[in-house]
Parts: sequence; structure tokens; C-alpha cells
Amino acid sequence: MRKNAQTAHRLRSSAGIWLLLLALTGMTISIGETGLGGAWVIGLVMGIAALKGYLVSGFFMRLRRTRLLWRLLMLGWLIGVVGTVTTVCLTAVK
Amino acid sequence: MAQLGVASVSFKAENPPGDLAIWFFIFAELLVFGVFFIAYAVARSHDVALFDQSQLLLNRTAGGANTVVLITSSYFVVRAVAAIRRGDAQRCSGWLLGAIGLGAVFVVIKLAEFHAKFAAGITLSTNTFFMFYLSLTFFHFMHVVMGMVILTAVAFKARRGGYSAEDYTGVETGASYWHMVDLVWIILFPLVYVVH
Amino acid sequence: MQYKSQAVAKPYFIAAIGLFVGQILFGLIMGLQYVVGDFLFPEIPFNVARMVHTNLLIVWLLFGFMGAAYYIIPEESETELFSPKLALILFWIFLAAGVLTILGYLLVPYATLAAMTGNNILPTMGREFLEQPLITKLGIVVVALAFLFNLTMTMLKGRKTSISLVLMLGLWGLAVFFLFSFYDPANLVLDKFYWWWVVHMWVEGVWELILGALLSFVLIKVTGVDREVIEKWLYVIVAMSLITGIIGTGHHYYWIGTPAYWQWWGSIFSAMEPIPFFMMTVFAFNMVNRRRRDHPNKVATLWALGTGVMAFLGAGVWGFLHTLAPINYYTHGTQITAAHGHLAFYGAYVMVVLTMISYAMPLLRGRIANSNKSQVTEMWGFWLMTIAMVFITLFLTAAGILQVYLQRVSDTPLPFMVVQQKIALFYWLREAAGVIFFAGLVTYLASFFVKGETKAITA
Repeated sequence: MRKNAQTAHRLRSSAGIWLLLLALTGMTISIGETGLGGAWVIGLVMGIAALKGYLVSGFFMRLRRTRLLWRLLMLGWLIGVVGTVTTVCLTAVK
Repeated sequence: MAQLGVASVSFKAENPPGDLAIWFFIFAELLVFGVFFIAYAVARSHDVALFDQSQLLLNRTAGGANTVVLITSSYFVVRAVAAIRRGDAQRCSGWLLGAIGLGAVFVVIKLAEFHAKFAAGITLSTNTFFMFYLSLTFFHFMHVVMGMVILTAVAFKARRGGYSAEDYTGVETGASYWHMVDLVWIILFPLVYVVH
Repeated sequence: MQYKSQAVAKPYFIAAIGLFVGQILFGLIMGLQYVVGDFLFPEIPFNVARMVHTNLLIVWLLFGFMGAAYYIIPEESETELFSPKLALILFWIFLAAGVLTILGYLLVPYATLAAMTGNNILPTMGREFLEQPLITKLGIVVVALAFLFNLTMTMLKGRKTSISLVLMLGLWGLAVFFLFSFYDPANLVLDKFYWWWVVHMWVEGVWELILGALLSFVLIKVTGVDREVIEKWLYVIVAMSLITGIIGTGHHYYWIGTPAYWQWWGSIFSAMEPIPFFMMTVFAFNMVNRRRRDHPNKVATLWALGTGVMAFLGAGVWGFLHTLAPINYYTHGTQITAAHGHLAFYGAYVMVVLTMISYAMPLLRGRIANSNKSQVTEMWGFWLMTIAMVFITLFLTAAGILQVYLQRVSDTPLPFMVVQQKIALFYWLREAAGVIFFAGLVTYLASFFVKGETKAITA
């Protein structure tokens, strides 16, 4: 019983994450369509990317339920890579 | 036993899902792609105009579609793992085949993109932007293919009854690898196709 | 040793050490020629000494790998070697071919050697490290194929382990990539492109598999750690080597006339080549830390740990220092390269072969480990050679930094020979370190003859 309830909850939440990811993707595509550019847009788009990365790694890859070490490694990668990339792109904005 | 059950529900699992060895690879791959992304950003900062200009020639619809495809395939993989945790090997295999199917869609869209570029005379040597675009997406493409191979092996083993509710590490291992492939594209798409 | 046929490893190891001594003698000759230009000229000109030094290195390492394989495969496969007789015949053929080739370099002008040995049939001579006459190269192929046949047949009739699989994959790879030494395109860019398919794919590719397998084998034996643990590490290390090393070949394609994207691909992937070496170091120390037995062969354990560390430093760190294209632009072909090359070859391949010999030779001589006195002598050899090599590397690095600055970076660059004169001090220091290295080698040799109470092989 408990297992079924737990399973159902997990399934609902993974579907929810999926829909959220699709929505965020839609936002990014729309922003792309508008042709907007510049600092705010770059920050927003990459911020969305980082959030999506967090959702996939945390929920789909189940890292939220693991030892701190693994979460830190993944978070480190997300922040390190997306952060560096965003910073570099922003510094190039005239 | 029930008490242990309660404890294990709320207690955090120690290790990430799947064989620990795959996580070495996952982080190694993330490292390589991460360095590649940073190199892209740095190269872009040296010639923003060129990058913005060349980016206009990219097929953002294809890129966006591929993002939706991969995210959905990742979701299918999550469903597959959930199924085998319940002991439902056939459903697990079904969801995996769905994910592989979506992977094939990605491959087709990507190949069409590459074809269009080559037909237009664009190569690795056209300019720095296209060198990165082609390298990054090709390198990622190879990982999609590798992921599909892994998932296929897992799907067939599941169908043959090779996994159960007690022993499904292999499924989680393959799933983790596929999620990594999805994760990389999630960063790649906005960075290369959208940011300008 | 567990199988009688493992005994064929012994002559291979002895030949390896003998050729090693020859290699170092010619190294000392060259080191002196750097600062006393016409030392031994015209009898042994610098370019001849160099060919002898580098070719001896490769050949003795190959003897070492072969001996190691003949020792490891029967034990891992739990069956006798397919044909010990074939192994011994091949030994003499390889040794004869090697000796004749070296004599050819020394006694005959190179152009004459080329004419004598049919280089006009298929030109394969004249490239660095691949100076061997056509017949020698063909001989190497024949010996390698027969060697591989012998071991593969052994493996097929016995147990397959990760170690034996990785070792054989590495050895087959070694043979396959050697075939590229026969391919010498007329186009200079292609010539250089494919040259690296031998050199890079060897030392930064399949040889790393051999290194991993040998190290894993010795670590299992001396630590007693669970095979499964070691095998898992081995697979991950091997995968990382291949992932980083294959496209990492691009770090040799920066300036030879290939497209510019190689500067990106080569930099990004080769930057990560230190990772498997780092993992090997952690792996080695981790295994020894959680050992389940205190193996009486302490010096073999020392060699194993030392290999991990020095390979990481020489191949990994020193390699990284000059692997990125913007840096390599300035350091290419300088003493920085020499510094890296020496520490990398010594740390990774010389040391792993000596690790294997250190572990296996006592067993081949009928005891589980040498006497305390002998082991201590060998340890002296280890430390003298290793520390001396570190100093050789440091001196060459210093020479290299100066060379790069004075010859390329400075606002008023100086000509090559002028700069060579200015860094001569470091060449003298390097030679001094080289003499210490040789002293270490002699000490190492002596350890084979030191008596004392040896430990019997039990169980």
C-alpha cells in the first residue's frame, strides 16, 4: 500500500518535472524567436538552462536523494560551467 | 521489517543510482563538455559579431525540437526505472524502447541539420563559430548514439527477464548515462543556438 | 611462479636490462655532446648516438612488455603458455635483429645502411624513432604477430580476466599501430600526421593499457586486494585513457599544416590526459592502503607506487604544462619537450617494467622475494634513478624556460645557437644528474647479485 502510494507520488512528480522542463524549453525557444539579445537575455536564457540542469540532475537522476558529495559535484558543475560561460558571454556584451 | 521499511523511505540513499563506475564516466564526460562550453564562450567573446552573424544560419527550430525530444526521452527513462522498481520488466522495456525511439528522432533531425549545413558548403574550417557548432553537436551526437546502444542493451535484457524489483542496477546505470546526454544538450542548445 | 612456462620471461627481462644499460651509456654520450660538441666525433656523431639511445629505449621496453606478458598471461589464464619454444625462438630473433640494427647505426653511414637494406623497395627509414631499416621493421612485425599468436592461443584455452584482456588489447593495439611506420606519404603534412599514429597512439594510447594491466597485476599480487575492486578501477582508467588520448592526438597537429580546428580539439582533449594518470596514482596508493597481506617483496611495492606518482608527474603534469595550443606555440620543440619526454617515459614505462621485473624476477629465480640486503640495494637503485631523473627534468625545464623566453618570447629574440650557449650551464647540470642516474642503474644491477637469506615461496 505504502509502496503504491509512494510510487504514484513519484510518477506524478516526475511528470510534473517533465512538464516544467517543457515549459522552460518553450520559454527559451520563444526568447530565441524574438531575436532579443544582450545582457539580460543572456543571463535569463542561461539561468533557465541551469535550472533545467538542476531539475534533470536532481529529479530525473535522483541526485537530490544522494550523499552530499554527489550533489555538490553536480552543483559545482552546473554553477561552474554555466556560471563561467554566462560571465564570459556577459563581459563580451558591449 | 515494517520499521526498516519506514526508515528506508525517509532515509537518503547513499550512492547515486546505477553502478558507481558509470558516475565516473558521467562526471568525466561532463568535464569534457564543460571545458568545451567554456572554450566556446571564450572564443565567442573574441569575435561576438562573427558568432552572432553565423548563429543566424542555425536551424533553431530543429534545435528546439531536439531539446523537447531529449527531455521527453529522459522522462520515458524515468518511467522505465519506476516500472522495473515495481518489478514490471515488460513495461520497463516498453518505456525504454520509447526513449530509444525518441533518440532516433533526435538522430534524424540532427543528421538533417548536418546535411543542410554541408550542402551549404559549411565545414569545420568555415569559421570558428561553425567549428564549435559542428564539433560540439557532433561530439554530443556520438553520445546520443552511444546512449541509444546502452538503452537498447538494457531494454532487451529487461524484456528477457534479466532485471527484477530486487536487481535493477543495470537499468539505473543506463538511465543515468542517458540523463547525462540530455543534461549536456540542455546547456548546449541555449548556449549555441540562442545566446547572442 | 605457478606455471613452468612462465620461465620464458626471464631471458626477456635480462635482455631488457642489458639494453637499458646501453641506452643510458648513449644518453651520457649525448649529454656530453651537448656541451662538448665534437665529443666522439666523427666515430659516434650526435645523430647516431641519438638513434641508438631512442631505439634502445623502445626495444628494451618492448622486451620488458613481452617478458611481462609471458609471465602474466599464463598465470591469469591459469594454463601453461601455448608454446614456450616459440617464445624462446622469438627472443633470439628479436635480440639479433635489435643488435644488428644498432650495429648498423654505429658502423655504417645511414645512407649506406638504407641502400644495403633495401630502403628503395619501400622507403620507411629516416623518421625519428622509426629509423630502423625495412627488414628490421618487417622482423618486428613478424616477431610481434607470433608473440601475439602465442599469447592469444594461451588465453583462448584458459580463463579470461580483465587484466589479461586489457593487456592483450594493449599489445594487439601496439602491433596494429606499428603498421603505420610503413606508411610514409610524400606530402610532409600527411607524413607527420600519420607518424603520430605510431608514436602518440603508442605512448598516449595502447601503451597506457599495458601500463594499467601490469600495474594492476602487481598490485593484486602484493596487496591481496579483491580482484573485482582492482578490475573495476582498471576499466575506468583504461576508458579515460582512450577517451582523452584518441582525440588528444590533436595536440600534435597544431603547427604541422593541418586545419586550425585541431588547435581546439587537441587542447581540450589532451588537457584531460592527466586524469587517467592521476587515477592510477590514487588507485595504487588506495590498494596498498587497504592491503590484506604484507607481501615480503617490499621493493616491488615501492616500484608500483613510484610508477603511479612519477607517471602522473612526468606524463600528466609535465605533459599538461605544454599541451595547450597557445602555450605550445612557444614551447614547441624546445627543452621543455625534452624534459617532459624524459620524465614521462621514465615514470610511466621504464618504471612499470622495472616494477614487473622487481616482482617477477625473484619468483623466476625460485623465491617469493629477495633478501633484505638485496631489496635495500634495489631500493637505493630506485631512489637514485628516480631522484636523478627528477633533477634531469628540472634542469631541462629550466633550460627550456630560458630557451623559450630568449629565443621566442622576448622582444629581441636571439638565434638558436646563441641561446644554446647561454643555457649551457643547465646542460652540464643535466649531465651530472645523468651520471647519478647511471650510478643508480649500476646499483640496481648490483642488487641482482646481492646474497642473503631469501624468502621461500609458500603456498
